[in-house]
Amino acid sequence: MTPDQIPQTGGYMVAAYIVTAVILLAYTIVLWRRGSAKTKS
Amino acid sequence: MTLVRSGRWITGIALLLVAGVYVRALVYTPVEIHQGLAQKIYYVHVPSAWSAMLAMGMVGLASILFLFLKDPRYDRFASASAEVGTAFSLVMLTTGPLWARPIWNTWWTWDARLTLTLMLFFLFVGYQVLRGAVTDPGLRARYAAVVGICGMVLLPFIHLSVYLFRTLHPMPIVLKPSKPSLPGSMLVTLLLSVGVFTLLYVGFVMQRYAIGERSDDA
Repeated sequence: MTPDQIPQTGGYMVAAYIVTAVILLAYTIVLWRRGSAKTKS
Repeated sequence: MTLVRSGRWITGIALLLVAGVYVRALVYTPVEIHQGLAQKIYYVHVPSAWSAMLAMGMVGLASILFLFLKDPRYDRFASASAEVGTAFSLVMLTTGPLWARPIWNTWWTWDARLTLTLMLFFLFVGYQVLRGAVTDPGLRARYAAVVGICGMVLLPFIHLSVYLFRTLHPMPIVLKPSKPSLPGSMLVTLLLSVGVFTLLYVGFVMQRYAIGERSDDA
């Protein structure tokens, strides 16, 4: 198989990596806010 | 240093390492010629699945310990691990279809592996809904422990489902009796990613445990 015959599936990869980063960062922020709220009370 | 601060540090370091894994996976790991770039979803899909299963395993173990020892710390840990597992299973269930679409020509199929992993996600969610619905702390902990143990029992079936049933999902290529059937550089990237996601799990659970410790509705 030559390089130009490799399936063009990069869009799915980019979407998957973005979705992963968004979920992990969103949960990090949620935990940070909940942790800070409890510390202040 | 408090548990929540330690958890934040570990989470921060783990997130930086996740960024490093992204660079290694996207830039320095070779492209698989039959699937193209979509194969690189492997380096986030498998570690998130691993972390979700680790989380449910920990929920089950902590639940058993709670039922025997009646120590609320185990219940609190199980609760923390279940919430973190929900986040990782959400990553697993979103990256899976994004990989399946170009390779299987479908977003989803109701085969054994996919259906069981969806059940795992629902068990995580159900576990938390149950905790929110029962007001008595003793009853809540006991009921939740039973659900947690059911979730742990599901794990071997998820792993073995590809052997027990006809499924589109590929067989394990690392966690199997024979040697991993993955080229060296891909295997290193995968193992690094699994390690980093495990560290992220630890950081998340430490923070969530500390939040639960300060709250009556842990």
